[in-house]
Amino acid sequence: MSEEKTKQQYTDIEKEQIFDKEFLPHISSMYNFAYRLTFDEDDAKDLVQETYLKAYRFLNSFQQGTNAKAWLFRILKNSFINDFRKKSKQPSKVDYQEVEAFYNSESVDVSMTTDLRVETVQHMIGDEVSSALNALAVDFRTVIILCDLEGFTYEEMAKILDIPIGTVRSRLHRARNLLKEKLQAYAKSMGYNK
Amino acid sequence: MATNLLDWLRQSFSGQNDCEKCLELLELIMDGEASPEEEKLFHKHIDACLPCYETYNLEASIKKLLQTKLKRKQVPDDLIQKIRSKIRSTA
Repeated sequence: MSEEKTKQQYTDIEKEQIFDKEFLPHISSMYNFAYRLTFDEDDAKDLVQETYLKAYRFLNSFQQGTNAKAWLFRILKNSFINDFRKKSKQPSKVDYQEVEAFYNSESVDVSMTTDLRVETVQHMIGDEVSSALNALAVDFRTVIILCDLEGFTYEEMAKILDIPIGTVRSRLHRARNLLKEKLQAYAKSMGYNK
Repeated sequence: MATNLLDWLRQSFSGQNDCEKCLELLELIMDGEASPEEEKLFHKHIDACLPCYETYNLEASIKKLLQTKLKRKQVPDDLIQKIRSKIRSTA
């Protein structure tokens, strides 16, 4: 919010420099995020392209030296919700409000009981992890991607997702428990545990 | 909120044990969001508490699993070119 107060006036050369040096280096992260949201290579490409075009168009509201990656992720996430989800082949089953209404509270629920074992987890392969992650509703999948794969801080996630940090924490906690359930079910079906 | 949490941690950890509070800190620790003092208290607790230690290991192993086993997709070769030409045509 506070960083939106000053608009920059960049020259065309400056714009190109910012675009090349601050925005393009994140294209791999952006593309992978887009793919994990849409599950479709063409959709992911469109989403990334749309994000970069918007970033360029609104470049004057970007302050050089601030967190370009978080800014780009925020645009991508908004594009996905506003324009993309409607036409996407993978409509989300759960919507933000529903999700929040379901478990929104200040205190993070601490129950983490599971009989999943570290050794089992260590033996899992990429495809198993991927399908467990992909089986989560998009809002839960998103916080895990942002935190664990992209390494954003809670504060950055709050800005990207437009939610308070407390909600970031509770959503992340819930997402992790759901992911654990999926991994657990997977381990059971493969006869890893017991 | 942070100072309250610390006060309450100091109290609870100075006493016997408090696994619940330890678990509440767990994700902060794992995500690098805890303060140095919180980290100290947390590690002091899990050094002495096997169930919490195991829970922490499991959570950390899942995070590591995500970071190491998920395949990243290669960016399509023509994507950057496409973006550039789109920008040029609309600028």
